[in-house]
Amino acid sequence: MTKRNFDKRYSAILPLGLCLFIPLLFSLSACSRPVPDDSKKIVVWEQEDAQVAPYIDSVFQAFKKLPENAGIEITRTHYQTEDLRSQFQAASLAGVPPDLLLGPSDTAGLYAVSGFIMPLDGHFDFSRYNAPVVEAITLDGHSWGVPVSNGNHLMMFYNKKLVKSPPGTTDELFAYCAGPAKALKLDRCIAFDMGEPFWLMPWLGAFGGWPMAGKKPTLDTRAMRDTVNFYLELKYDKKYVPMECDYNCMDSLFKENKAAFIINGDWAISGYQKHFKKDFGLCIIPRLSRTGRYPSPMVSGKYFMVSAGAKPEKMALLKRLLEFYTSKENQVRQYQVLTRLPALKAAGSAPEITSDEVSRISLDQILKGRPMPMATEMRAVWDSARNYLGMATTRKLDVDTAVRKMQENAEKKIEEMNE
Amino acid sequence: MKKQLSAAAKRKRLQHFFIHAGIILFAGACVYPLLRILTVSLRPGDKLFSTDLSLIPAGATFVSYARLLGDTMFLRWLWNSLIITLATSFIGVSLASTAAYAFSRFRFPGKKAGMILLLSSQMIPAGMLILPLFLMIMKLKLMNTYLGMIIAYSVSSLPFSIWILKGYYDTIPRSLEEAALVDGTSQVGAFWRIILPLSTPALSIAFLFNFTTAWNEYLVARVVLFSSKQYTWTLGLFELQGQYITQWGMFAAGSMLVTIPVLCVFLYSSKWLISGLTLGSVKG
Amino acid sequence: MEILKSIYEVAWFILLIAGGVAVLEGYLYSHFKFYRKPLFEVSALIVFPLLGLLALKTFGLAAPGSYSWLAVSEVLILLFFRFAVKGRHTVPFMLLAPAFVGLALLLVYPFVFEVYLSFHDLKLTTIMMWKNTGTLPFAGISQYVKVFTTSPLSEITFWALLGRTLVWTFSNVFFHVTGGFILALMLNNQIRFKGIYRTLLVIPWAMPQVVAVLAMRGEFHATNGFVNIIITKLLDTLPFLGSLGVAPVQWLSDYPLLTCTLINVWLGIPFMMVVILGGLQSISSSYYDAADIDGASYLQKLRYITLPLIRPVLMPAVTLGTVWTFNNINVIYLVTGQAGGTEQADILVSALYKAAFTYNRYSYSAAFAIVVFAMLFFFSVFYLKTFDAAKDER
Repeated sequence: MTKRNFDKRYSAILPLGLCLFIPLLFSLSACSRPVPDDSKKIVVWEQEDAQVAPYIDSVFQAFKKLPENAGIEITRTHYQTEDLRSQFQAASLAGVPPDLLLGPSDTAGLYAVSGFIMPLDGHFDFSRYNAPVVEAITLDGHSWGVPVSNGNHLMMFYNKKLVKSPPGTTDELFAYCAGPAKALKLDRCIAFDMGEPFWLMPWLGAFGGWPMAGKKPTLDTRAMRDTVNFYLELKYDKKYVPMECDYNCMDSLFKENKAAFIINGDWAISGYQKHFKKDFGLCIIPRLSRTGRYPSPMVSGKYFMVSAGAKPEKMALLKRLLEFYTSKENQVRQYQVLTRLPALKAAGSAPEITSDEVSRISLDQILKGRPMPMATEMRAVWDSARNYLGMATTRKLDVDTAVRKMQENAEKKIEEMNE
Repeated sequence: MKKQLSAAAKRKRLQHFFIHAGIILFAGACVYPLLRILTVSLRPGDKLFSTDLSLIPAGATFVSYARLLGDTMFLRWLWNSLIITLATSFIGVSLASTAAYAFSRFRFPGKKAGMILLLSSQMIPAGMLILPLFLMIMKLKLMNTYLGMIIAYSVSSLPFSIWILKGYYDTIPRSLEEAALVDGTSQVGAFWRIILPLSTPALSIAFLFNFTTAWNEYLVARVVLFSSKQYTWTLGLFELQGQYITQWGMFAAGSMLVTIPVLCVFLYSSKWLISGLTLGSVKG
Repeated sequence: MEILKSIYEVAWFILLIAGGVAVLEGYLYSHFKFYRKPLFEVSALIVFPLLGLLALKTFGLAAPGSYSWLAVSEVLILLFFRFAVKGRHTVPFMLLAPAFVGLALLLVYPFVFEVYLSFHDLKLTTIMMWKNTGTLPFAGISQYVKVFTTSPLSEITFWALLGRTLVWTFSNVFFHVTGGFILALMLNNQIRFKGIYRTLLVIPWAMPQVVAVLAMRGEFHATNGFVNIIITKLLDTLPFLGSLGVAPVQWLSDYPLLTCTLINVWLGIPFMMVVILGGLQSISSSYYDAADIDGASYLQKLRYITLPLIRPVLMPAVTLGTVWTFNNINVIYLVTGQAGGTEQADILVSALYKAAFTYNRYSYSAAFAIVVFAMLFFFSVFYLKTFDAAKDER
């Protein structure tokens, strides 16, 4: 009964609908398809902090204004760090990657091994750039990116309202923390992110260690034990650092005058300058009194990487763009706008940069640093170090076991990755 | 007699007092984090967290809102999200309401398998779909269009909508439809005129679910959209997030602004969450 | 202008989808209706593959041989309708067709893709080969063996991780349902400000999840979080609590999984509340009236009227809630992923993402995903069976 009713009602409508909709459907879907791109379009994906975007766009604008570049279109798309990695890999596998990537060197190794980006040795003259920043993008004898800035390294910032003169050694720093800092009733003396192994590396260097030797992790060392013990001492015995504090937490403590010092990267310079105005203080991370060595932050930079999928006929255009982006004038301007040190040697000696105190200190810190290893094995080191460092600093594991397991686990992960 | 009544009334009042107190406690737990976000959005200097607990921060300013609306295409992103979400909810609820009717009122082979098949579509961890989705979108040339997103969103909310509607239809007595069918209404007519009006609570739940899911969706949007003009607000808001530095003031301001439409929809849906007809009177 | 354009665009999309649905229904209807007519079968064999080819062409997907594939599938469909369906169950199948075709469009390809990957070996060292040649070394079931024998995390085994995931899932779902149920019962009274209360109570659901989680995470901060401040205040006023072991806690480093659970419970209650509230609307007040006459207590009414009658609405929400919680990593990632990446709160799926995205072990993680899928699948089949058994009993 019900079925017949249904049939009756629809037997007339259906054929009509079919006749109407099928042509409509195809005509519509045909016109909704996007136009294929041509050789005058450049697609750039980046993962920069938001305040950097206007600068990037301004350089692209200037490039497009040059007479020889008439009709060129540049599309910039922003991704978060994790997204950029997964999307770029998916796009490369799907055969539609962007032409250029702009980002730090830490994922470059992965892209290089996967064949997603191309080695640039023949295309650019890398001797024009500072050697350490080029070394941080060199893997298996090839250079995989054009450096646009030098640094991305940790430094020490201080609040001039609270600190008169920056400490030169950790003993001086601790003396300040034990004395004046207590008197000022500061929450904590030094703010830094103890959970993130990137912040561990300067101290590891100062104790004479380094996480990688070639492609082998070297975590189970005397130096690593000393460094972790140093962390525990700062956290539990001296109580100079906050108990449980990630990046946003340490940033707030420092900005709210509740910590006198912070260890943070060069990316934070312009923000703190704006926030503290005349009270902004910058210094290198003080020498570790116990060993007499300076902490050595990891140094890399920001790089343009060229997708392996970029068409050969586009290479000349891409090369022109990257050379324009890293020209001396733009490198100097980049420093003025973003306070990022130039990667180009010629720009480093420009008076606008050498005359500035901030750049002098930042450069000084870079000279004490070491290039960040580019090998994919570093991922396992970061992961393993982060996990066991967390276990050790929250006293879930004793230092010896944590450090031993850190090494074992990094080796296991590397083996699984490369098997 | 009078005394008894007033005792009952007293008990009722006491009961209501406890209900109000209980709800206000829970509501406080729900609202407080939102107020903290409001604080972040009003706080100068891009700090996500503060040791300061006051809700209106020192030096409160609307500058984050002004910058968000002035310097970014935020309104555009909101608009994009809104039309996608509305289209999705419309399609999703229509497809679900009819499919659920089939599950609720008919016996046919494969019924149980079909129900389980619906469920199983939710069982693949979402992140694993990025790569195949990307390949699909590229093959079908759907990048930068909303068509793919609308289909994906409405289809992925279907299992929940169908299940919840089926459950609700099951509680509506068959006698109601049968009476209408005897009166000469078609099955479709009975569905349209009797079942649908009676299930507004379930329909509005399905609608709310479709709406919030599509409104807050990130993964598919990230795969499909490349040009910032076409972004939904989820993508737009993450423009503000970099590797280390995030513009928390604007981020929080944006979060406040995107929460408002959803709350409006919920407030409006109150009307529909109440069953349109009192079943009791008909059931008798 | 741009706004008009986007309205126009989306309106076309809706029409396009409606058109697609109409075409599908027409196609099915003709098969249901005319399955016995030889004339129809012949013309169907010619017309439908042609239309299909046209569709493929407009999407640029047509390959040589497409037509014969389409014709073969049309033959199979015709045979299926002729000998299996025979024009029965027209209405339910046609009602269901759009939903299921949509699901198939969206999910069949990804699923087949994952299954393919799980039997091959795609990882960091073979990705270049796959990109250049499109082929991968065959791995048999070795990826599945790895799923069960090795652990994606460093400290605990696969089985312990599975146990942790189950604890996470069931505690979350349990508190979601209980919390949502209590709130819904409270809201279901004739009280003032009901609409406002309901709107305030759904805030955790309505807020963008990322922000909601980050805000809640702030409240669990060891020194500046609301939770610890309240605990300290409580200790000041009620000192005896201290002797019972109540003290401020380093939530994120000492109890990461508990913190994640608390936050996720907070996030999930409103959804259950709304669902249950809708379910309560389906219960006729005449049942309660009858029970009142019999002098039933509140708890009795709850046990014998409310619970059984909202089951049809509650059951799908619980089943799906379980599946979603099992696969939910947003909270875990946002709470622990950035706070020093502790592994102590990882569940199966978050560990799976680490393997997939940090170490590019695509095939291993595909096998892992299939295992997760299978576990959930058997769980829901089993759960639905028991639900049906309970229903028959009633």
